[in-house]
Amino acid sequence: MTGMISNGFSHWLTAAPDAHKQLFELELPTTKAEAWRYTSLKSLLEQNFTPAEDAANAIQSDDLNKILIPDLMSHRVVLINGRYVPELSALGDLPTGAQIGSLRAALASHSEMVRSQFNQYAFNSLFTALNTAGLNDGVAVLLNRAVVLKNPIELIHISIGANQPQVAQPRHLIVLGDGARATLIERYLSLDAAIYCTNAVIEIALGRDAVFRHERLQMESENAFHLTGLSLKQNANSHYLGVNIGLGARWSRTELVTNFAGEHAECDLQGLYLAGDGQLMDYHLDVTHAVPNCTSRENFRGILCGKGRAVFDGRVLVAKNAQKSDAAMSNNNLMLSEGAEVDTKPQLEINADDVKCSHGTTVGQIEPEKLFYLRSRGISAPLARRMLCLGFAGEIIHMLHEEVLRDYVAEHVGQRLEFSATGLS
Amino acid sequence: MTSTSAVDEIVKSEYEHGFTTEIVSDTFPPGLNEDVVRAISARKGEPTFMTEWRLKAYRHWLTMTEPEWAAVHYPKIDFQSISYFSAPKRSEDAPKSLDEIDPILLETYQKLGIPLEEQKVLAGIAVDAVFDSVSVATTFRKSLAEAGVIFCSISEAVHDYSDLIKQHLGSVVPHTDNYYACLNAAVFSDGTFVYVPKGVRCPMELSTYFRINARNTGQFERTLIIAEEGAYVSYLEGCTAPQRDENQLHAAVVELIVMADAEIKYSTVQNWYPGDAQGKGGIYNFVTKRGDCRGDRAKISWTQVETGSAITWKYPSCLLRGEGAIGEFYSVAVTKGCQQADTGTKMIHIGKNTRSTIVSKGISAGKGQQTYRGLVRIGQRAEGARNHTQCDSLLIGDQCSANTVPYIEVKHPSANMEHEATTSKISDDQLFYCRSRGLTEEDAVSMIVNGFCKEVFNELPMEFAVEAQKLLSISLEGAVG
Repeated sequence: MTGMISNGFSHWLTAAPDAHKQLFELELPTTKAEAWRYTSLKSLLEQNFTPAEDAANAIQSDDLNKILIPDLMSHRVVLINGRYVPELSALGDLPTGAQIGSLRAALASHSEMVRSQFNQYAFNSLFTALNTAGLNDGVAVLLNRAVVLKNPIELIHISIGANQPQVAQPRHLIVLGDGARATLIERYLSLDAAIYCTNAVIEIALGRDAVFRHERLQMESENAFHLTGLSLKQNANSHYLGVNIGLGARWSRTELVTNFAGEHAECDLQGLYLAGDGQLMDYHLDVTHAVPNCTSRENFRGILCGKGRAVFDGRVLVAKNAQKSDAAMSNNNLMLSEGAEVDTKPQLEINADDVKCSHGTTVGQIEPEKLFYLRSRGISAPLARRMLCLGFAGEIIHMLHEEVLRDYVAEHVGQRLEFSATGLS
Repeated sequence: MTSTSAVDEIVKSEYEHGFTTEIVSDTFPPGLNEDVVRAISARKGEPTFMTEWRLKAYRHWLTMTEPEWAAVHYPKIDFQSISYFSAPKRSEDAPKSLDEIDPILLETYQKLGIPLEEQKVLAGIAVDAVFDSVSVATTFRKSLAEAGVIFCSISEAVHDYSDLIKQHLGSVVPHTDNYYACLNAAVFSDGTFVYVPKGVRCPMELSTYFRINARNTGQFERTLIIAEEGAYVSYLEGCTAPQRDENQLHAAVVELIVMADAEIKYSTVQNWYPGDAQGKGGIYNFVTKRGDCRGDRAKISWTQVETGSAITWKYPSCLLRGEGAIGEFYSVAVTKGCQQADTGTKMIHIGKNTRSTIVSKGISAGKGQQTYRGLVRIGQRAEGARNHTQCDSLLIGDQCSANTVPYIEVKHPSANMEHEATTSKISDDQLFYCRSRGLTEEDAVSMIVNGFCKEVFNELPMEFAVEAQKLLSISLEGAVG
């Protein structure tokens, strides 16, 4: 696994030597570890990954047009194999106090701000250490106090395969000052069907009253491995909304870790995953209410078809004295075919008495009555099923802010459902 | 609104059933090795197959390590400091009727509110009372025998029904299952055996009262209940223990075997000594309970009210093999003082159209720590399986904690699984509403808590439901949230 690191860059970082050390200290998680109970690393370890090559010239702006979502106005950042590509990026006009650029450049230029914040929030894990030790590049988003970005920042991760399986390790640092507001759209996609791995680490720190909307579209190729480790620190009154759409990758694991550092903060995590034949979608959510009066919401919906597998492991921890915490977790799954599997584990750990905490989980199918209703109105069975599935997914898709993005996602979900229609009886 | 002093009062309240009956025990010196296992077996005059079975378990136990995954904390148990056998002195000439029973023993039961004679007449319950490790009182044997029901201590069953024991003992909870079950298999002292033949509805509710009495003696009960095709039996298990300082280990194993169309209803009220305000003393209750629905439409219903023990580690489970088999789990668990409980259930859906219901109510007060840990697994062939789970926690006071750790594994697309969990406290509004109607704070709390637990109490046999409600109000008197 250490083959995944070394890039002639990590010596810039004070964090890197520690990360290297950690790599040798941290053990590879097995299914005996509670957090990896349902997810085996076997298929990942079978690959002989090498650090991703710089493929910045592999695509031209014409190719990019095929990837772009028409009518989506954004501050665009393009990363190829984890590296920032200025030629394809279009940051547009940024207000004063807003800084968006290559993390590598920011670290290299000794930007005090970036250096002091880097690696301060990321949770401890083998894959975080791997990312820190071998990171390619990424984006630093710094918004000063009260800076408001009207248009979303769009982060497009493009993977381009090589003869050999590669690993890209993008790293993003997002720091919003007090009262700052921004939206970030992250997209993960690939141009070919090569085997590769994305090991992304994202650190987000929100100042007081900051508002951050974070929309993530994981649409990697069907041969890809995808890992995301997202750490979020929220100060008082800050608001975070995350919408996680997972459609791609053969094997993916997304860990979202939230820590409340100030009171009256709100964290809303929404998710939709669609696992088809041969796919594994693994989500781990960990929300810690360390201080009183915070609110958290977790709402994940999954559709399973073919021999798809999904794991949902949500944990809400309410610390002692974190009174008036309000947490609700919900995980609903729609199972469409034999051979599919879902393992869900919504946990609550409550150490304060004046709290409102709940969780709900369901696993079910398309109800025959609903199908009958639609069919009795002349809608064919496959179309009716598709409509019902899209309706189920719609709750999450509608959380996306931009209409063009909602349409884009709905279309892809629809396509996927058709693709796996053979699995629907 | 929170009256800390009232909570403190409860936390400090002396254990109601804390007394020790002076009775001469025939107890082994502390320690465990193969000789002790052999000696237990010899003392009970067991046939060779049992001795071998115990030794096999003991040897396997040596290879195992104590489980540490549960959310409970306690000093490491020194298994060599425990005495593994204790029998009331008169065990050699077993009593034939109540008259022969040591009056001191009977007095103990009176103190616990278990008047054997009265129960015989009033409640129609056959009582197989276990005082320490050997059964000393068995009633109603005759009328049960007429129905063809076997209800006796497991040591007797080893002698009298060795074929049934050979066939079934350890078939649901094998000795390799877990650390404590393995220990139990090696050293189990006694317990209950029930056999209900085909088509028989047991004419009365069967009941065993356990009581841990001898100092430093771990109690290793083993219960085996078999319901043949179409049979029905309701079994009640109730426990209290006298006060003492040393932690006492209790590692019981309960096995239920249910054939087609049969049903076993297993109810427990557990009120062992929970330890004092500092968490000193109290029973360690590490129990393995499992039922196997082997036939179609077989049904197992577990109901438990857990208010005692310093540490509870217990997951009554159902293996739903037969088509249309049903598993139910209703639980009220109360932790106060320094009590810790890690409890829940496992519902393993194997057969088609199997159904399960889980209702778990946890009440945590004082410094109580409670975890619901449950597994619902719907296997690849469990077409049309259904599960509904509800686990609610009620927190009283800001020192306690309540965790919910459900595992849900679904491998069949026609399965329907719902899981809900909530955590709340007794709200000021609820209290105000009750008080404005003239109820005292205490009555209001008791009423709200009883309402919170009603779904579970409804599942208990009547006599037990009354006892359970009483237990609950004693446990939580004055604890206002």
